[in-house]
Amino acid sequence: MEKSGKIVVEKVGEKSRVTRCFSKYPLKFIIPTKAGPSDIDAVWIYTLTYGGGIVSVYKSVAFNCSQQIMEANIGSDALLVIIPDPVTCFSTARYSQKQVFRILSDSSLLVVDWITSGRHESGEKWDFSLYKSTNHIYLDNKPLFLDTVLLENGNVTSIAERMQDYQVIAMVILLGPKLQDIQNQVQEDVKKMMSEQLHAPSAGGRSKACNGDGSAKPSLIASCNSFGPKGIGVVVRIAATTTEAVYRFLHCQLAGMEPMLGLCPYQ
Amino acid sequence: MEDETVVNDCTNQPSSTKSDSLLQWSKWQLIDSILPTGGFAHSFGLEAAMQSRIVSHPEDLQTYVIHVLENTGSLLLPFVYTATTSPDLQTWQQLDMILDATLTNEISRKASISQGSALMRVSSSVFVEIPSLKTMRSVSLSNGDVRFHHAPIFGLVCGLLGFDSETSQRAYMFITMRDIISAATRLNLVGPLGAAVLQHQVTFVAEELLKKWKNRGVDEACQTSPLLDTVQGCHSYLFSRLFCS
Repeated sequence: MEKSGKIVVEKVGEKSRVTRCFSKYPLKFIIPTKAGPSDIDAVWIYTLTYGGGIVSVYKSVAFNCSQQIMEANIGSDALLVIIPDPVTCFSTARYSQKQVFRILSDSSLLVVDWITSGRHESGEKWDFSLYKSTNHIYLDNKPLFLDTVLLENGNVTSIAERMQDYQVIAMVILLGPKLQDIQNQVQEDVKKMMSEQLHAPSAGGRSKACNGDGSAKPSLIASCNSFGPKGIGVVVRIAATTTEAVYRFLHCQLAGMEPMLGLCPYQ
Repeated sequence: MEDETVVNDCTNQPSSTKSDSLLQWSKWQLIDSILPTGGFAHSFGLEAAMQSRIVSHPEDLQTYVIHVLENTGSLLLPFVYTATTSPDLQTWQQLDMILDATLTNEISRKASISQGSALMRVSSSVFVEIPSLKTMRSVSLSNGDVRFHHAPIFGLVCGLLGFDSETSQRAYMFITMRDIISAATRLNLVGPLGAAVLQHQVTFVAEELLKKWKNRGVDEACQTSPLLDTVQGCHSYLFSRLFCS
């Protein structure tokens, strides 16, 4: 691994501070001193890599970062928030990332992981060769959440076929006591939103009724599922026809993070 | 091909041939839809896909079935494969725990648990020639840590019955295809004859998918159709529904 870095955030007195920070080209951490209001106890970290992106970390957190692998240990009563912009793979690109989180029963974690079909306005739709994204969460060293999405062209089916008309796929993981209210709100909102969109075909799938104009697919589909013992985590999966729709969804659903972060994500 | 010569050669059968013949009966029984494992309570997200208009024409059904099979191959065949090749208590319990963390979609997780529990119960009563099935089941029921997910149990039963790992992985793809197509007939997306025609058409693609995804370890298990997973996750939002998943 050529790139590597490590950053440690600890509580020093009443304030969370970066107590260790090291990185090697082309990975770089930028830690602005005034990212949000001074009465908010949060450390913002921007990671710059060849792919771009924003990573925000706060409270007692340590992670190692390399070209494709990020490992994060989230301490007791700590919260780690990872809110990047979407990965956009150009035509023929191959991209792979792995994020491993080790948590305790009272750690909290928010991860947004998302990808667009490419530069779809210039005709590139799911045209890359390979995208692989792994998110693993271990609670007290036992597997809690193991997810890998692999999108590869040249299979029996193409990525574009599997995505139909959707241009964005997103996943949001909400975990731990600090995010309980946001979890509940998202579950309620998504259920309400989707219940309005879903309805049984009016007269059987085989009849003519569903041919012709019929009704279109929803422009955004979302589903929420809880996982882990006592449902401590919630995962939201989203498919949408535009990137803007997902930005709006994330902005709206994560607005409750503002008191913890000092700024509203995806504003 | 080997199987046919075995069947025809039954006049003065050596004992290994006799057990091979009996193995075929077990094989057919395990994949027979009459085996009460509750597969027909599940649509593999097809019902939610219809209500969200992802599948709205009979032509969309074939595409949907292929995508479900691809996702089954990439995500679940590693569990079937590993359990078939090491059909012991420790491996099975480990696979069960990993699959529980891997099925992050609650709908699929519950469907896997209900079908797996039923398959274990049925198998331990039916295949009495393998007493370890009953032992493993009661040990796991009493310690309470095992969820009884379907794919590892299917692989375990196949392994203990003596199936080779490729047969057991192909059988897993077969029952998945059988259950979605059956759901499609009950959702009135296709008629019974059309369903049979479709099943045969999809066989060729299913064999390609099996070749691509077979014989992989669980560290390679992955989702290849996130759209499908998103839609499947919506099942509990359906106001009216026929299926559990």
